[in-house]
Amino acid sequence: MKKTLLEIKDLKVNVEEKEIIKGLNLQIHEGEIHIIMGPNGSGKSTLAYTLMGHPKYEISDGEIIFEDELINDLRADERAKKGIFLSFQYPEEIPGVTVEEFLRTAKTSVTGKYQGIMAFKKLLKEKMEELEMDEEYATRYLNQGFSGGEKKKNEILQMSILDPKLAILDETDSGLDVDAIRIVAEGVKRVHDKDKSILVITHYNKLLDYLNPDYVHILLDGKIVKTGGMELAEEIDKRGYEHIRAKYSVH
Amino acid sequence: MKIIDSEIYSLPKDIDYKKEYLKFEAALPEGVILEKINKDKNEIALDYLIAKEFEEAKDQLTPLVEESYNTGVVFYLPKDVKVDQPIKIEFNMDDDNPVVINQNIIVADTASEATIIIDYTSSEGVEAFHQGITKIFAKDKAKINVIKIQRMDNKAKSSDTNIGFIKGQGQINWISVELGSAITVSHYSNYLEGEASGSNLSSIYLGDGNRKIDLEYSMIHKGPRSISNIETKGVLMDEAEKIFKGNLDFKKGARRSKGVEEEYVILLDPTVKADSIPALLCHEDDVEGEHAASAGQINESKLFYLMSRGLDERKAKKLIVEASFRPIIDKIPFEDYRQIVIDEVERRFMDDKN
Ligand SMILES: Nc1ncnc2c1ncn2[C@@H]1O[C@H](COP(=O)(O)OP(=O)(O)O)[C@@H](O)[C@H]1O
Ligand SMILES: [Mg+2]
Repeated sequence: MKKTLLEIKDLKVNVEEKEIIKGLNLQIHEGEIHIIMGPNGSGKSTLAYTLMGHPKYEISDGEIIFEDELINDLRADERAKKGIFLSFQYPEEIPGVTVEEFLRTAKTSVTGKYQGIMAFKKLLKEKMEELEMDEEYATRYLNQGFSGGEKKKNEILQMSILDPKLAILDETDSGLDVDAIRIVAEGVKRVHDKDKSILVITHYNKLLDYLNPDYVHILLDGKIVKTGGMELAEEIDKRGYEHIRAKYSVH
Repeated sequence: MKIIDSEIYSLPKDIDYKKEYLKFEAALPEGVILEKINKDKNEIALDYLIAKEFEEAKDQLTPLVEESYNTGVVFYLPKDVKVDQPIKIEFNMDDDNPVVINQNIIVADTASEATIIIDYTSSEGVEAFHQGITKIFAKDKAKINVIKIQRMDNKAKSSDTNIGFIKGQGQINWISVELGSAITVSHYSNYLEGEASGSNLSSIYLGDGNRKIDLEYSMIHKGPRSISNIETKGVLMDEAEKIFKGNLDFKKGARRSKGVEEEYVILLDPTVKADSIPALLCHEDDVEGEHAASAGQINESKLFYLMSRGLDERKAKKLIVEASFRPIIDKIPFEDYRQIVIDEVERRFMDDKN
């Protein structure tokens, strides 16, 4: 049996005094791909931010266990060093810092090992080619003036470079054209092929067709109300969240 | 907020600075004068060169420095002469040479061009004292670039006054980097006297510990279609205090002139104090004065984004501050000095508990 990488037990999360995640359980083993689907406002990003350690998202109850260690109180940078990565739904723009400098700093921080300039350039170039990104992006300021799609690709580039054990993708496929979705999917698969785990938050089946997930979870009002396989994603696609809500909602 | 007490104005008397500070070995084009200042020798010649063409600008600190300076350079550029290599001046105050009172006079004749870098440092723990005045006279089409880097020790005090007089289409470009000393006074006044005279002042400052920073930048537009630009980026942490006065003064005759003033400061701790006093004076209707300022903490979402990539809080903040300094640092036309500034910012960050 595969090792458990992440275990979430009865998690409750408050944002500005309001409970958003209301008792959530989830277990991810090494090498698994999990999908979370749910209507807008159901708490998907809140879960993603909480797993990454955003200080604004307060865990009021429950446990997040990563590689047998309780990480509830770890800061975001500590979690990154443990191998958790979040591809942001809305990546931040950081003018004045180039993609290359930033990623080299990030890689140094995450691995704790100095990254030689030339060796890193080579790694970056290779990863950018895989993602069909123009070399010129390396010298641009991080996300500044990037289109929505370019920002998302840049998140996947960061993921490829940082090589996490658990990658959480928060609507990385939203706003991407079909070609970009394919490229992103291939990027995710390359990480997955190394027996890494993936948690994908998405609304669309396009990405899922490429990824062939192990589990699909439905998140409603801060709880996972149903877990299944691809057939769940197809049901949502066909019948919409209202139908799902009526069918699975627990009160 | 008044942060500078009167003690700084009482200058020490008769203290020599014995170290070499003028670091320039290359051969100069004919007619160029580059000498250490000397009361008996070059000052008289300069008086003649400057004579009457430039209006007198009075500054309260000027007479004091003019009487008791122990260092400084006199730099004269004849018509059409361009000096390609930078004139480097480095003051390194230490136990034996704790005081620098310098007067620098630069006269740039028509269409001449040069770049001057002045770097102020002091040894750790020495109560060094720097007071200076730099006067630049730029005639029509002359272009003078001055880069001042002050990175003295926390025990030091530094007070620096700069005055530029610009004729015709002359231009003075200043870059001011204020990273050190316990008390920092840094004043710049530029008189744009001619038609289409220009001046740019770009500065960065870093306040940590208990540093007190007093910045006053003035652009006095007298000539028509004169153009000025002030761009300042700062960061304050710990208990640092800063006051910034930015003055755009459009005198009678400055028709169709334009002045832009921008000041941004990042406040890293709630214990810092930051005052900003912009002033816009118009004695002429057809002028354009723009002012923009912002003071704020680092955006929480940006900080989280960086930290999610493994950077600890201090590193993430440092990155954002360096990024805000970047456009100004990039204006320093020499890689070695850009690196010096970047390293000093880095050191200041790593030193403090922030
Ligand atoms: N930073 C925040 N401040 C205030 N409310 C928030 C914040 N983040 C999320 N919420 C609220 O939490 C709920 C869930 O939001 P979110 O997790 O973004 O949903 P999803 O990603 O599923 O669309 C929403 O009602 C939203 O308004
Ligand atoms: Mg969301």
